[in-house]
Order: sequence, then structure tokens, then C-alpha cells
Amino acid sequence: MKIVVCIKQVPASNDAKIDPQTKRIIRDAVKSILNPFDNYALEEGVRLKEKFGGEVIALTMGPLSAEAILREAIALGVDSGILLSDRTFGGSDTWATSYVLSKAIEKIGNVDLVICGKQAVDGDTAQVGPGIAAHLNWQQATYLMEIRRTDERKILTKRLHENGYDLCEVTLPAVVTVVKGINTPRVPTLKGRLASLKSDIPIWTPVDIDANIVQLGLNGSPTRVVKTEPPAPRSSATVKIKGSPEHCAQELIHQLRLRSIL
Amino acid sequence: MVKHDPHYYVKNKRYHVEVLPPKQDTAKLLADLDLFKEKYLRVIQSGYCVCITDNAMGLMAFQGHEIIEELNLPVHRDQVMIHLNTFHTKCDLDNILTSCKNLGIESLLIITGDGSDRLPKLQPSDIGEPDLESVTSVELLRYIGRNYPDTFVLGVAFNPYEPVEHEFAKMKRKIEAGASFVVTQPIIERNVQVDRLLSEHPSIPVTVEAWMSKKLSLLSEAIGYEIPQDVEYDPMATLSMLHQIYPQCGVYLSLVGFKTQFDLVKDVWI
Repeated sequence: MKIVVCIKQVPASNDAKIDPQTKRIIRDAVKSILNPFDNYALEEGVRLKEKFGGEVIALTMGPLSAEAILREAIALGVDSGILLSDRTFGGSDTWATSYVLSKAIEKIGNVDLVICGKQAVDGDTAQVGPGIAAHLNWQQATYLMEIRRTDERKILTKRLHENGYDLCEVTLPAVVTVVKGINTPRVPTLKGRLASLKSDIPIWTPVDIDANIVQLGLNGSPTRVVKTEPPAPRSSATVKIKGSPEHCAQELIHQLRLRSIL
Repeated sequence: MVKHDPHYYVKNKRYHVEVLPPKQDTAKLLADLDLFKEKYLRVIQSGYCVCITDNAMGLMAFQGHEIIEELNLPVHRDQVMIHLNTFHTKCDLDNILTSCKNLGIESLLIITGDGSDRLPKLQPSDIGEPDLESVTSVELLRYIGRNYPDTFVLGVAFNPYEPVEHEFAKMKRKIEAGASFVVTQPIIERNVQVDRLLSEHPSIPVTVEAWMSKKLSLLSEAIGYEIPQDVEYDPMATLSMLHQIYPQCGVYLSLVGFKTQFDLVKDVWI
């Protein structure tokens, strides 16, 4: 099984600043990390490889610094990483980004499954995965909480929605996006991390993936951002629970469960 | 397997010295590993016990056993202690325990630990206790005792800053679950809860943690209340005082300065 996992480098901080001119996040000012939802996509890709054999390739589009998350992916068990980086990719919206990723997937060739996290925590659009499927004209299934392989060319997926889940059979090749509960991502080992330092990460440009320059960057992006504002900071006010010790303990447990801490 | 004597450290005036492993997100892993190796070897060569933390404060770091394996570091009896908390998958937990066993690491400090979004948490069903709500150090002690009998010497933490009766009730459960030594949270003077611990459990060796950073305010998060940033603090004087107050206890040095303090501490324990 040949699996591509699309990942993204995102700002680590909730305190991201927006450039008033471009209406985009100022990425230089904050530390960057692997998009948290992509951890689940990587883990699922590696688990499928461990179960059925094959290879897993991590793919990202971004500045040269995004190489760091590809090395992180390799430390987690991915076989190789590819960085799509070029000035002409800058300013791409989700449609142009998914076009670039789809062209890279075509270039990789013979891909059975593309896995993405359900969304990136910076843009929160959840559009890139479906966009890749649209560009490739492949089947897609989103918000998956389980992927089972049923035969050589099919997977059975459990798709999460507000009222429960759907079981969807998907014919490969396909694009899927996964949610947080699908697995428990592993922590990179030292051995994996050291191996990742030695890996060559190729950098692909529009020429390498035979991309149409008109469909890249701002020119290829139908989205026009009219206004962008960071969300209001979350309240961190202390909540005092009053009452008997038994009541306080029960209420505390209830509140911790509401926040998925217990 | 002959297990070590936890009283060894006091009898022989051997410090426990905490060495922090490189963090997972370090941008200079190789340099950090070199530094870890240098500190580890200095502790070992001094005859002390090197103590390696497990994702301290929920910050992801590499595991002690994998660094020892990768760097091929020596493991001497009585000289390596690994912290082990409950924020692991079952598979990782068993890998850690098996590696420690194979490396000859006997001493484990079992703690509930600090979690984070990125760290998995052991589930009760993972360790054969499906009826419980969550896994704490008590359940982890029981699991290790059941599955790795006569392999490890298991210690636990004592937090004198927690609600007192709760902490002592928990200590009783920890000892019943197999704990055979105790390491306290950092103390900087005589502590009535540590005194009570020594009096209630006279047969359990207790090691008190000495805070070796001059920045006492950094201790705030560990002890759960705010210490002002401008408090003056002399770690070496405090260390000397702790030896005088608790001559029957071992001492665990946290955040010891390897450039400025490490060579001096041997003259303090006299």
C-alpha cells in the first residue's frame, strides 16, 4: 500500500498575529509546529503500513523551515518526506494548495491512499483534503474515526458526524481525512529522530510537479479574504466550586470530564 | 536477582543527581545528547546515582533508557534511577520496562506524572484494572509488581504541599502496592510533613529533594503556590542545612549546576 500523508506546519501559539495588509498570519514571529491533527494522520498511515506493508510518504507545502515537520514525520515512522517550496506557491488559498498537493501526488505515482488531518489549526477550513480529492477526481471520505482495509482496492471507513457515524466503503485510490479519536499517536523515539536527521528531503518546485503557474499562489486562488481577526482569547478565570466536600468532588469530576481531562 | 539496598545512599553518602534528558523539540539534538552524556558520566564517575526524568512538567523529552542504549552509556548497580510516569501507551510502557530490565536498571521512581495534549495516558484496561477510573502511580506500581516480579526496586514521590491526609492515605496505598523508597518534592527547610512521613514509615528509606537552582521562584509550579521572583536563596547553604536536619535521609539534587555546584557538593555531605 502506497500512502501519502499531507501535513502542515502551523504556528504553535494561540497568540498569532495577522498582517493587516495581506490578512495572513505572520508566521515569522511565532514558533512553528506540526499541525496537531496531522499527528493522527501520520499515525494512521504508519499503522496501515505496519499492518499491510508498503510505504508512507509525508508531503507538505511551505517555506524551507517546513522541512522540520517532515523530519518529525520520519522520526514517527514515515519512510520519506517531500517539501513543496517555491515563491510562486506563496499566498495560495485552499484550492491552489490542494492543486499543488494533487500534482505532487500524481508525480509520486501509484498512490493508493492520501491521508490528511481533519483540518489545520491555523486556517480551520478543512478544505484541503476534499480539494485534493476533487483535483485528482478520486473518492473521498472525511472525519474518519476508523479505517479498515476490506480488500486490495477497498477500505471500510467509520465517518464521524454530529449524530453518530456512517460506515462508508471507499474504493482506492482515495483521499481521507481523520479525526483526533482515530488512534493514539506514538511519541518519536530517539532512534527514529536520529535517523530522521540523516534523511534527504527533496524540495519540489512547480517545474518538478508539472504545475500550471496560473493555478498557483494568489493568481490561482479564488478566495479573497476581506477581513481576518484572531479569536478572542479564551477566559482562564478560576472557577470556585462551593458546597459540601462530596458535592465539590462530584462537580470537579463533572467539570474535568466535560473538558475531556478525565 | 539481588536487589540493591535503598539505605546504600545514606550509608555511603551518595547523592541522587537529576539529569534532564533532551527535549523532543530541541533544534540541537546532537549537542544536547553530548551534554547529557557528559553530565551522566560525571555523576557515575562521582559514585552518585543519576536520575533521569520522564517528560517532566508534561514537556516531551526522550526516555532515559533509549538515551542510555543509543549512547552506550554504562549502567552501574545503584547508580541509575529512571522516573516512570503514567503518560505512556501500554506498548511503550512495556518497552521501557523491558529495556530497563535488559540494561540492568533496577531503580524506578514511579509517579503519576504530568500530561499534555500530545502525551498518551495509560488506561485502566491497559494494566488489567478495567474497573478503575484512571491510572495513578499506585496502579502502575501494582502492574510492575505483577508483571516484572523481583526485577525492580520501586520508589514513589511524596508531596508535602498536597492536602496532608490525602497525601498520607495515598502514601499508604503506594507502600501497599510495592513502593520501597520515597523521594520528596523539593524542600528548603524542615518540613513537618516530611517529619511525619519519617515517623509513620520508619522502615522506608526517604530521600529529600534539594532545590539547587538559585531561582527559587521556579519551584512555584512544582509545589503549587507562587514564590516571588526576587526571593534570595542560597542552594548550597540549604543543602548543608538539609543534611543537618535529616541526617537519616538521602538527598536528591534537582537542577544542580554542573559548572558551579557539582564539584562542591561532596564537601557538603560530611
